[in-house]
Amino acid sequence: MNKNYNKKNESAGKKTPSFANHASSKKEQEKKTLTITPKASWLIALTTTLIVAILGAFFLVEQNSDVLFMAQNRSFFTTNDVFIVECMRVPGGLANWIASFLNQFFYHPALGAAIMIGMWIASMWLSKIAFKVKLEWMAILAIPAVCLLVSMIDTGYWIYYIKQIGYWFYGTTGYLFAMIAVLVYFLFSKRTDYILATIFIAFTYPFFGWYTLLALIYISAAALVRNSKEEALADRILIPLLPLVFVGIVPLLSYFLYPELRLKDAWISGFPYFTSDQVVSYTPAIPFIIMAVTPLIFPFLPKQEVFKGKAAWTVYLTSAIILVTSYVWIGKSNFQNHNYHAEIRMYCAADEQEWDKVLEEMTRLPGDASRQMVLLKNIALFNKGEMGTKMFKYNNMGEAPSNGFDTLNIHMVQTAAPLIYYYHGKTNFASRWCIENSVEFGYNFNNLKILARCAIINKETDLAQKYLDVLKTSIYHKEWAESMEPLIENPQLIAEHKEYASVYELWSNMGSVLDGDNGLCEMYLLNYFSNTMNKDCKPLQELTLNYALVQKDIKLFWPRFFLYAQLHKDEPMPTHYQEAAYLYGHLEPQNVNISQMPFDKNVIDRYNGFQQLSQSLLASGMKTQEVGEAMKSSYGDTFYWFYFFCRDIRSY
Amino acid sequence: MKIKNILSILATATFIVACNHPSVPTNAEKEARLPRIFPDYTEVTIPANICPLNFVVQEGATEVVAKFSYPGGEMTYGDGQKVEIDDVDWEEMRKMAVGQSIDVEVFAKINNTWKAFNPFKIHVAEDSIDEYISYRVIQPSYVAYEKLSINQRNLTNFEEREIYNNMAISTETTGQCINCHSYKNYKTDNMLFHMRQGYGGTMIVNNGELKKIDLKIDETISAGVYPAWHPTKNVIAFSTNKTGQSFHTKDLNKIEVQDTESDLILYDVDKNEVSIITELEDELEVFPTWSPDGKKLYFCSAKFEYKNDSVAKETEMILRYKEVKYDLYSVDFDPEAHQFSNVKMIYNASDSLGQSVTLPRVSPDGRYLLFAQAEFGCFHVWHNDADIYMMDLETQNVQKLDNVNSARSESYPTWSSNGRWIMVASRRDDGNYTRPYIAYFDKEGKAHKAFELPQKDPNFYTFFLRSFNRPEFMIEPVSVSSKEFTKKAKEDAIKAKYANQ
Repeated sequence: MNKNYNKKNESAGKKTPSFANHASSKKEQEKKTLTITPKASWLIALTTTLIVAILGAFFLVEQNSDVLFMAQNRSFFTTNDVFIVECMRVPGGLANWIASFLNQFFYHPALGAAIMIGMWIASMWLSKIAFKVKLEWMAILAIPAVCLLVSMIDTGYWIYYIKQIGYWFYGTTGYLFAMIAVLVYFLFSKRTDYILATIFIAFTYPFFGWYTLLALIYISAAALVRNSKEEALADRILIPLLPLVFVGIVPLLSYFLYPELRLKDAWISGFPYFTSDQVVSYTPAIPFIIMAVTPLIFPFLPKQEVFKGKAAWTVYLTSAIILVTSYVWIGKSNFQNHNYHAEIRMYCAADEQEWDKVLEEMTRLPGDASRQMVLLKNIALFNKGEMGTKMFKYNNMGEAPSNGFDTLNIHMVQTAAPLIYYYHGKTNFASRWCIENSVEFGYNFNNLKILARCAIINKETDLAQKYLDVLKTSIYHKEWAESMEPLIENPQLIAEHKEYASVYELWSNMGSVLDGDNGLCEMYLLNYFSNTMNKDCKPLQELTLNYALVQKDIKLFWPRFFLYAQLHKDEPMPTHYQEAAYLYGHLEPQNVNISQMPFDKNVIDRYNGFQQLSQSLLASGMKTQEVGEAMKSSYGDTFYWFYFFCRDIRSY
Repeated sequence: MKIKNILSILATATFIVACNHPSVPTNAEKEARLPRIFPDYTEVTIPANICPLNFVVQEGATEVVAKFSYPGGEMTYGDGQKVEIDDVDWEEMRKMAVGQSIDVEVFAKINNTWKAFNPFKIHVAEDSIDEYISYRVIQPSYVAYEKLSINQRNLTNFEEREIYNNMAISTETTGQCINCHSYKNYKTDNMLFHMRQGYGGTMIVNNGELKKIDLKIDETISAGVYPAWHPTKNVIAFSTNKTGQSFHTKDLNKIEVQDTESDLILYDVDKNEVSIITELEDELEVFPTWSPDGKKLYFCSAKFEYKNDSVAKETEMILRYKEVKYDLYSVDFDPEAHQFSNVKMIYNASDSLGQSVTLPRVSPDGRYLLFAQAEFGCFHVWHNDADIYMMDLETQNVQKLDNVNSARSESYPTWSSNGRWIMVASRRDDGNYTRPYIAYFDKEGKAHKAFELPQKDPNFYTFFLRSFNRPEFMIEPVSVSSKEFTKKAKEDAIKAKYANQ
């Protein structure tokens, strides 16, 4: 109508100049009135889609590739029925199963992210069609996708404590399903079809859990709006309310069918819990709540043909606010704790025996390392044969890992202990913690690989084969599993293998004792190795010397130092061992006379320099901690500095 | 096309697929050995009412065909490497072969050549087996517990149901661990299982009525742990244990579970009273089990004297763990007066053999006693040298049941209600995950080759990463629902009283 009217006026304007002024002023006014043309609508929608894609790509791939890879590592999928049956033990099992399958693609973070972003975009556009939302409101339709993006990058250390095995793709899969369900429902037009569609969707509850219930609620809201002008009460009220009846009934009935399901969980089965050690975190759950609530707005969004004037301004303003707020929220939620990411990268590098990469991370530290990083660094140095020369050149402090946004207790036995134990030849303890962790968080590719390696070293052939058989059904760990198969029942190959050789050597030379770590991996290693002596295995002996150094125990040091010297007769004594000997010789000269020992000049000079500087700084009134800080740049790479200033380290 | 037509086409297709019996290869090369199949069902004796014995052929073949010849006919199966037998076919085969055997011939296509392996027999006994078993499904775990359940399985088909799933309340309070379950005379209207920590307590179903009891009283060292429900009376013998766990740094047994203290108690279900059976000094009494007439209680006990006052008992136990060796005892019981008398050692495994006996179970006819035996300790499920032995209670002769045992751990032996079947928890598959194995025990007192509990998918055990612990026979399913157990578990436990008060 408006368009025709304008055209008429335009043509009339040419023929009747007396109205020219009036017409042109109207035209001017029209021009001034902000109108969203169809082209502009598409532009808004496509731009929003593009922004979602860019935000997704940036925050997932650029900022969190390491997290995504780790997420994949800590996921699990097997094609065998056992897994799907396991998933289906609680409502939402199929979504969990699909999500677990998709999680695998984070092995290539960009690929996994592309699939995920594709699913977000699909759900945005499906929701547009399902709820008959105008293109102009695409920014609102993007809110759930933004929430899902936030849920991927805000978990922090919960990555080690999430109990939902398919977590990473679960929300995306579930939300996409909900949008498909709404779309399918509104494909029908008859009353009976609506009833049947409602029943059909309700019966997907075992497969999609609370996402089915969300779909029913969305349908109810949308149907209420759409049918508000219907004459028949059944169409206007009963049909829209029917899905809500199922929302009430289906979970209640399911509660009696699922032994594992708690009544309070029946309506939110599939909603991720963030609980551990009696700590409950609500922050990572917020995106899921916003995601769930947002589609309730969709049916109520204005649907006029053309948005102009105030309406257009509202669209632009709303879109801008949403996009800016989203960006800020995503940015704020993006867990960018340096150590958290560095730990993940170091872990993955250590898992692949890429020792240089492990050490590179330590050189990029902006602050102090966590104890896990220190242990991984030491493992890297040990495997490179550089413990004695470089151990104290890197940061050896112990920044406590923390989420910041909650009080989650992070324990190394649940993060990296199995791998750390494994590289120390402690295969039984490594397998123990893999299994212990699987009790709460389920098996995952990472612990299955460690279990397989330990079984290979332990010569538990059937067990190794079992774990490899499971891994062989995965997409990305199949190749690794197949490459490990020849090692089973072949100690010769194990002893010569690039990865296994050093672990096997340590394992072979350690005796068995009945022991326990009380959940403290580092303390256990420290006590075990610093109190062990071994003259048959050079690497093991060196490890005992290194741990004696970390213990700062002079009595433990000397016998291990002399044994090292004996075992490495024609080799130069590594700097740190010399430093320790020189220092201990001065601290307790009554124990060992070091006067005849051939210390490097550099070791002596630096000790003297260290002593002089520390004395003068202390004399100037500085406190010990301040002295340590002041001397860090010049002597932070020595055992002297470690001995005096690396204190109050708490393992976890 | 109408829906009806689509359905009929689908039904026909399903029928064709279901009835697809592959043909036997005509020119297969002879391979003069038995095929490697998993589970190993070669030359086993099976109950007259067992479900199909599906298996996978582990010969690296691309195709397999298994020909089952039975009195009155033959059938073939094969799907990739799997041999999955149709339920209806199996029932027919099994019925026709009762008292006889089914001959199985396996053909495998390896490198495009068909090989024919030596045929083997599956003997079908005339004796049937109890329809149900139950077991605890648990990670072969150490300290952590959360995802564990007690499940029941129908042996005549593949139906499995959860009796109680710990996840229903596992994350509340501090969580809890489910311990051993026990039935009165194989029936489930009198049964129990114990939970510790969190919502801890002993869940007792007494004539169908569920109660939660706190059996820890001041006079005992713990609540009831290893239970044995008297076969006729409403009394339950329990061990009470102060248990600790420690870990081998290299030994493949991996875990030691040790009792620093343990005694035996009797719980009177009707009176809600606990009395002490034995609390001998320097003795660690555990694993009570009744004779079928209920007039004797068998149990294990280890003499262990703490010598070092300067260290905690737990530490001394860890240092001397190999010295802990259990012997087998019996004590007479007067079922009317609830009185125990005449404790005597019936099998001295520690001194004479340097061995340790655990988990005794008497056959329903009272003639035989099964137990697990290994070099030391009480937690034989983690001891690779643990094997099942049997004592003839008439002659006191003890024999190792070679057909039941393997190179890995066997423990938790138990008898079917007719005494013709033995079930054990075995780690023979991989050394880590416990699986139920069943063996025929014939009238001559001979145990036959044990076979693994059949599963619908023969690859199930490869992919199932949890253990089946403490398998028990039942003649009927548990009638109390999982939800009822869950609801009761959340209630406060009724405190038991001390009988002598």
